[in-house]
Amino acid sequence: MFDQLPHTFRKHKLSADVRTLLQFRNAMNKGLVRTLGDAYYVLKGLVTSAPTEIGPFSQAFYEHFLGIDIRKGEPLEDAVTRSNAFRGWKENFSEEELAEIPSMELVDKFLDEVHLTTFDIQRVLDGKDILKKDNPEMKDNDPNGGEGTPTDRPLDRMADYRDVPLEELLRRMREVAKQQKGKHSGGDHWIGTGGVSPYGHGGAAAGGVRVGGTGGGKMARAAVNSRDFYPVDTKALLKDDNIDAALAALKGIEEGTAEIILDIPITIKEGLKQGGIFLPHEKEKVQQKTQVILMIDNGGWSMSPYVTTVQKLFKKMKTRFSHDLKTYYFHNSIYGGLYTDAARWKFEPIEKIIRQDKNYSVFVIGDADMAPYELSNASQESWTELSKHFKRMAWLNPMRESIWHTSMTCSVLMRMFPMFGLTPDGIEQAILEMNRRRKFGK
Amino acid sequence: MAITKMWTGSDKYICDKELAQAFHMARVIGMPLLIEGEPGTGKTELPLQFAEDLGAKLFVYPVGSKSNVEQFVAKFDHVKYLRDSQVEILNAQREEKGLENRLSTGGRNTENLQDYVLKGPAAEAFSTPNSVLLIDEIDKAPREFPNDLLYALSHRKFVMPESGEMIEVSEENMPAIVITSNREQELPTAFKGRCVYHYISFPTPETMHEIVQKHFPKLNESLEQKCISMFYQMRSLGLDRAPATRELLSWIKYLKSFEEAEALTRVNKVEGLGVLIKNQNDMEKVKARIFGKSS
Repeated sequence: MFDQLPHTFRKHKLSADVRTLLQFRNAMNKGLVRTLGDAYYVLKGLVTSAPTEIGPFSQAFYEHFLGIDIRKGEPLEDAVTRSNAFRGWKENFSEEELAEIPSMELVDKFLDEVHLTTFDIQRVLDGKDILKKDNPEMKDNDPNGGEGTPTDRPLDRMADYRDVPLEELLRRMREVAKQQKGKHSGGDHWIGTGGVSPYGHGGAAAGGVRVGGTGGGKMARAAVNSRDFYPVDTKALLKDDNIDAALAALKGIEEGTAEIILDIPITIKEGLKQGGIFLPHEKEKVQQKTQVILMIDNGGWSMSPYVTTVQKLFKKMKTRFSHDLKTYYFHNSIYGGLYTDAARWKFEPIEKIIRQDKNYSVFVIGDADMAPYELSNASQESWTELSKHFKRMAWLNPMRESIWHTSMTCSVLMRMFPMFGLTPDGIEQAILEMNRRRKFGK
Repeated sequence: MAITKMWTGSDKYICDKELAQAFHMARVIGMPLLIEGEPGTGKTELPLQFAEDLGAKLFVYPVGSKSNVEQFVAKFDHVKYLRDSQVEILNAQREEKGLENRLSTGGRNTENLQDYVLKGPAAEAFSTPNSVLLIDEIDKAPREFPNDLLYALSHRKFVMPESGEMIEVSEENMPAIVITSNREQELPTAFKGRCVYHYISFPTPETMHEIVQKHFPKLNESLEQKCISMFYQMRSLGLDRAPATRELLSWIKYLKSFEEAEALTRVNKVEGLGVLIKNQNDMEKVKARIFGKSS
């Protein structure tokens, strides 16, 4: 059942491979994975590497282990309600019990059980220890003694309490152990396709294995339903912190010059190695430069919804690259040149613009959406001239990525420039692309 | 033996369930724990408090823009080595001239290269079983730094410079490694693959209440509630830089120095907000929206 695990994760655009499996297996051998809830935590630690991956990860997890597939934009509760796993689990309750519990609470209960971890059980047991001292006769019930490895201690102890309906759990753990050795014991999911409950229901149905509200349900809902835990591709979420993060990737351009200077650290280091004979070592003076050109579409009403976002980015760039930032403005498209002022009075022809260092990083910010006649052949040529000169050039589009292709002009420009969303993510990708070009494009 | 018992916080630190589990798991399978989260949510505090609570030895490596593996692992002290070899020559010359007294090399022997290896926090932690190693703010490091650590992390092995001595640690004795990051730059995928990842989500008001209680056990309740509710109100405004736990605690610390009634009026008079809000735009927003004043 685990062979397909990396595949499921990859389907949700997460990175997982054989190493993930090996690490997971290692965790299992160490006794870290005894419940489905444990598996969730362990895999989450291994697979995710950004908060925005927690949402997709949870989706993949539900899909793989419980057969719950969450449709795009669907709340977790709905997906759970229509799943087989949930229906099977519900069969553990009698009609009257079901009638008593509101359906949302039932979903919560289900999720709490799914996310029940060894840690939760341990906590409950610690609480029960006091009880144990009061009722010495309970010590006699030791049904599953000698089970498993010594690391299984907490679960062994748990089995002392038959009224805590957790024998089921042990049984399931044995199954997991079997599966771990490669023997499929049928069924694709931990909560069996045959409607076997994860932990059984036992006598205290209403209380169940709720273990005093583990909060698993709440946590799961937050992970799946909150936009915070998904990639931000649809939202222009430019905040102070994350613009910085994105711009941090803009690597300076290292330029060698003819000037030769004494390399003091190397001279000293080598001299010491030679037992005190210092021979001068020289090096080329290297200059670090990061130069940025912004070309902003500030005309027309089509860009107005994005003004604040663009301004924010502009302000950031200005403080970051105060000396090496140049800004040009245009309206919709360019015709032989751009303007150097926001009111678009001072015109600067392309020929003059491309006389500048070709190492400038150029960001074009605009929605690329205009009437087809505005992107005339002449205009397209202007764009081409720019892109030929500036190797590091990218387009940042504030519109949602999903509607780019619906605009004719946008599609044309997408073929000319690498286009990214005006989001931290997009900026970062644009910069990665630029850095890549600098490396290989020369 | 590494400490693999679940640790859920001490009387000074609240470690929420998810973080406790991630940390536990990292220690059991001998992988570093990579923690990310908003600034001021207690990322760095975790290993500090953990080490203090359990009496484990703590090694800290604060990462900066000039960090390199040499500082982190070990470097060879060439200056000392040079001095000692000169001293040896001098001593030989003195002996020739029949002089008695010798110059000392401080017990170091130039034949023994290990004497000149200065161990950095990583080498120290790897040779001290049961220790805790904190790599703080790894996102501030140059791009190569995390990549340079890959081998050491997956093989639990460091090779000392010049002397060639190998420092190796078994999976059981692996120090508890905690790496924190503020996401100022994306870490390489290969590096992340070798870590257990945990994202600290922002504490709920209930947890915040507990945190405040731990820091200021004697705090007046109405003041605390007022502060916490105002704090979450500010966070909900969508500020450029939302205040975090650290800011709230500093704010309360400031207010605590006054009598209760005085403190409450100070809250209402928008005093000491500079601790919470660190941006002019945000400040105006807060003043207008929460205090109904426009500046």
